Formats: sequence, C-alpha cells, structure tokens
Amino acid sequence: MTIRRRFIPYWLLAPGALWLLLFFVIPMGFMAEQALESGSLFTGGFTFSWEWSNFPDSLSGNSEQIVRSFYYAGAATLLALLISYPLAYAIAQQSGRWRLLLLFAVIAPFFTTYLIRTIAWKTILYDSGPVVGVFQTLHLIPQDGRLLATSTAVIAGLTYNFLPFMILPIYASIERLDLRLIEAAKDLYASSTQAFLRVTLPMTAPGIVAGVLLTFIPAFGDYVNATILGGTHQAMIGNKIQSLFLVERNYPEAAALSFLMMALILVMVVVYIRVAGTEAFMGEEEEAKT
Amino acid sequence: MRNSSEQSHVRGWPGPLVAVAILVAALTLAACGDNGGSGGGSEAPVAKGGKPTGEVTISNWPGYIDPGANGTVAEFEKAYGLDVKYIEDINDNLQFFGKLQPLLASGNSGGRSLFVVTDWLAKQMFDLGYLERLNHADLKTVFNNISPQLRNDPADPGRQFSIPWQGGLTGIWVITSSEGNQIHSMRDLFDPKYKGKVDLLTEMRDTVPLVMQMQGADPKNFTKADWEKAIDFLKKETDNGQIRRYTGNEYTEDLTSGNIVAALGWSGDASLIGRKDVEWRSPTEGCDTFFDQMVIPVGAPNTAAAYAFMNFAYRPEVQADIADFVNYVTPVAGVKPILEKKDPAVANNPLVFPPPSLLAPCSADPNPPGSAEDQQAITEKFQDLITG
Repeated sequence: MTIRRRFIPYWLLAPGALWLLLFFVIPMGFMAEQALESGSLFTGGFTFSWEWSNFPDSLSGNSEQIVRSFYYAGAATLLALLISYPLAYAIAQQSGRWRLLLLFAVIAPFFTTYLIRTIAWKTILYDSGPVVGVFQTLHLIPQDGRLLATSTAVIAGLTYNFLPFMILPIYASIERLDLRLIEAAKDLYASSTQAFLRVTLPMTAPGIVAGVLLTFIPAFGDYVNATILGGTHQAMIGNKIQSLFLVERNYPEAAALSFLMMALILVMVVVYIRVAGTEAFMGEEEEAKT
Repeated sequence: MRNSSEQSHVRGWPGPLVAVAILVAALTLAACGDNGGSGGGSEAPVAKGGKPTGEVTISNWPGYIDPGANGTVAEFEKAYGLDVKYIEDINDNLQFFGKLQPLLASGNSGGRSLFVVTDWLAKQMFDLGYLERLNHADLKTVFNNISPQLRNDPADPGRQFSIPWQGGLTGIWVITSSEGNQIHSMRDLFDPKYKGKVDLLTEMRDTVPLVMQMQGADPKNFTKADWEKAIDFLKKETDNGQIRRYTGNEYTEDLTSGNIVAALGWSGDASLIGRKDVEWRSPTEGCDTFFDQMVIPVGAPNTAAAYAFMNFAYRPEVQADIADFVNYVTPVAGVKPILEKKDPAVANNPLVFPPPSLLAPCSADPNPPGSAEDQQAITEKFQDLITG
C-alpha cells in the first residue's frame, strides 16, 4: 500500500477533527485554565495558580442545585418516556399518510424557538388561567395554589421541550420492528402482554436508550425553564453556573463547576450504557445477525 | 485485504499521542489568554468629539424612551442625519455587565457607542477602566441645562464619565383592586397573608437597603452587620415561600397577569404594566432613589454621535417628550413649565417631579461597605439567596 493511501482515512477525518479542535478542545483548554485560577475581578483580576480547591469547593457549595437538576431531569425523562412510547407505537401502527401527518404534528411546534415555546407556557399556566382553574377544581392544588414558580411547572416545561428527542428515536426503532417476531411469539402461546414485554420492548430498547440519553443530558444542564417557569427554589445547576459567570463573576468556580458537571454526566452515561447493555445500544448489529 | 498487523499499525499509534498533544497545545494557548482588567479610571482615554455622522448603537433599559416612528430616537436621527440602532437589552445591571465584561476587558465595546447603567455600576466600570472620560467642551447643552443638584455627583466628582439619563425611586407597586391595596410599608409586604404573592428585585442595591431601613438601620451608615442581618431575614422569608420570585423587569408581567398582588419595583414602570389598577407607593420606612447614567465604553465607535445624543437628550423640549413617555425623574432643569402646557397630568405627577417631602425619607442606592472583597462577599451571599 502506498504512503498516500495509508493516510486517506486521516484526510477524511481532518475537517471533523479541525472543527472539534477549534470549537471543543481549545475552549475546553481555556475553561480548564480558568478553573485553576484564583482571585477576583475587582481585586486585580484572576491569576493562574493551580487552584485545585475550586473543584471540591464548587461541588459542596452547589450540591442542592446538582441534586435538584438530577431530580428534575430524571422526572422529565421518565414522563417523556411514558408519554412517548405509546405515542410512537400508535404512530407506527398508522398507514403511510396518517403516519407522516402525525409525525409532522409532533415536530411542528418545534419550528418555534425554544424560548418562545417556554414563554408560551407562562401564558398557559398563569394563576387565574384555565389550567390552574381545572387543577384547583380537581383538588390537585389548593384553592389559592399556583402552577407557575413551582417545580411542577419546571418539570412540565422540561418534559414538553424535550419530547421530540424522546419520540423520534423510539419511533424509529418501533418502526424497524419485525412483526413476524410478534406473530411467532403468539404462535408459541404468549399473551399480548407477554409478547410486548418479551419481544417488543427488548427489541425497541436501542430507541429507548437513545431517547433517554438525548433527553436527560440536555435537560440536566437546562436553565431556561427554571428561569421562566420557576420561582425561588427551582434553580438548576445551569442557572447556578450562569449566575456564577454573569453576576458573581466568579469565573474559576463557574468553570470548575462546568467541568464537574461534564464529568458527572459522562459517568452517568457510561454506567447507563453498561447497565442497558451495549448490545441494546448497538441493537442493529444484533438484528442483522438474526 | 489488510492483514491484522497493518490494521493495528494504522489504528494504534496516533490515538493517545495526538490527544495528549492537542490537550497540551490547548492549555498553552489558553495560558496566553488575557484575563485581568486594564488600568484604573483616571488613565482612561477621553472620548473624541467632532461632527456626528453615520451609524450609532445605543443600549438602554426597556421603556426608557419612545422608540416609535414619531419618538425621540426618530427625532434624533432626523436632527443629525444619523442611523441609530437603539437596543433595549439591559434588564439587570450585573447581567448586562457580565455579558459585556470580556469584551470591555480587551478594550472592545461590542459595537455600542453609549449605554445606560445605574450609577453604582458606572463607578465600578470606570474604576475597572471600561469607560472613556467625557470632554465637557463637547457637552455644552448638557451642562447648560442639567439640574443644579446633579451638576456634581459624589460617585463621579466633576462628572468625568457619567451623565444622568433618568432617575427614579424604588418602592412598592400594588394592585389596588386586590388585597395588596392594604400594603403601605415593607413590613406589610412580608405579612403571611400575602404568601407567594409578592415579588422582590434581583437588584441587590434596591432590595436589601429597603429591608435594612425596615429593620431600623441608619441609611446614612449601613454597616456590614446590617447587610447580613437583612439578607438573613430575606432568606427566612424566601424559604417559607413568602416571596414568589426575584425579578428584573419581569415583575411587570406578574403584575399584569395578576400572579402577584405587590412587587418591589421602579416608579416609572407604569407603561410596562398592562393594567390600570396599579399604584406605586413609597414604603413608609423610606424609599430608595437611583439615577441611571449615560456612559461611553472604551473602544466605542462614533463617540461624536454619542455626545450628540447626550446633548440632544438635554434639550428641554426633547426631555419633556422623554419625561412624558417614560414617567421617571428628569435630570434637566426647565422641563416642568413645558410639560405644564403640554401634559399637565405628567407635570403634576409627584413621581416625575418629586416634591422634597417625597424625597426626604429616601436614600441613594448604596454599595455594601468595606473593601472589594467585602462587597464581593455580600454579593455572593445575596446571589446564593436568589438562586435558591
């Protein structure tokens, strides 16, 4: 093999690698340097001093928001999953034209900007509005209760905003399901429920894994929903990082916190993929073999 | 077909080595980055005057000018033949500062020739070297017409870097048709019967001094202990759900939709609130005054146009239009007689032309006492409070 041909894969990778270098690696380098600085803006600026204490300090000082973000993102992911799976299943059952229409109906609201959609929820959930009225009648909230500026509103906003990220991967994997397998299960005396639990669900697991990752990871770092729909005790870790950068101007702590969040999410994803099984993640290979 | 040794040869060597090389390169590049602020204020460059032409970008708070087709911005464009980009992107002093700080630290103004920030932030920015000094010779109209009591400013002796835009009072907005109508003092705001129906401001220098005055501290001499006691009180009230939200300008939305019955707010914001049954009240324990200042950032393009805007705004007839629309306290003398003929309701509005009796119990928004570290500590304590 000639030298030139040996390097073709690298030439092909070069544009993508350059992009990653410019817009990921180098900014990460800047942030890493900032995370190890000390000092303050008003007393002479920041200096690089290998301040490793920024990391444990930022973790202990913001543990409440970290736990809360985990809880909100987790709840939103679970709710999105419970809503998306039946919906994706129903869409996959439809014939061609209806299927496209329903898929479009799922995606259409997301042609509007993220921010506008979240602000629209503020209008829907205002205190003397119809939604709050219904909730009060059903005694789900007290008579002078509210939905805005509560955790409920923030979780609802997160679920809504990340719904298509859950629906589409699940839909894609349900659509690829070979119905003959379900037929075969029924031939072997499986009930509908058993067929679902032992054939459909495992075979659509790749879609579920992808959907969960695509929903949980961005939801964890979200700050828009907490700002617009939340109140005094709904701040998530994204809000805290924003406050540290823009208001307190404590750049080292903010950078250290950002790195820790990245590491935390990376660990969670790795554990999740191990638990869900890499076969489930690489589901296509399994199907191709059978 | 490749054999396995050639395959592993291609795959094996670059990976980890390249990754380490990239990381080292990144860290080296990053370490060359500029981080601190530039020199202090007195070495700041003087903004150049001259004939204003071309484009100019101005940043301001919302609701501070009539931006319409017949408004002040349009008049200014016509008067000088300029193309003005007027952006209302300032919602909170510190957030705006946070956005601009990296640019200003490297001498870049982000395209803006002029912006309006509250007096205490203007001073901090000047001390950090982010503002240009003003040449009084280019501001003749301003200094001919400025109110005598604003000619000098303890935070800006000799008016080196700031020209007042509008001033105002921080107090309590109530919805008169609700139970909030009974609120007249800061103590009333914290009455449990309004639990969850009250907003406070994220602006620390507005919210905390009002609470300190409620707790009986001396407005001429707030101590560090006073600040901490007030913030502890606010933490208690926030934790038990008395406060619905801490807001910038967004309290006006909560008032409009009736989500709250009262909010700490700024006296001239009536135009931002979409209902008529609201009233601004000065808390009985004392209110807070502030003056927002026009400043020119370092690296500002077209500073001649910035000077022109300052002079234009200080013409009494233009200031009358601004006061009519904005309903805040004007820094220009001789505006009241013009408004008495044009719009007597505004001329007699005590929030626009406050009588001494209204201003007497008010104090100017203070910085926390002590060194920069002390101020930072108080800022962090307050931020911990409002970011739950």
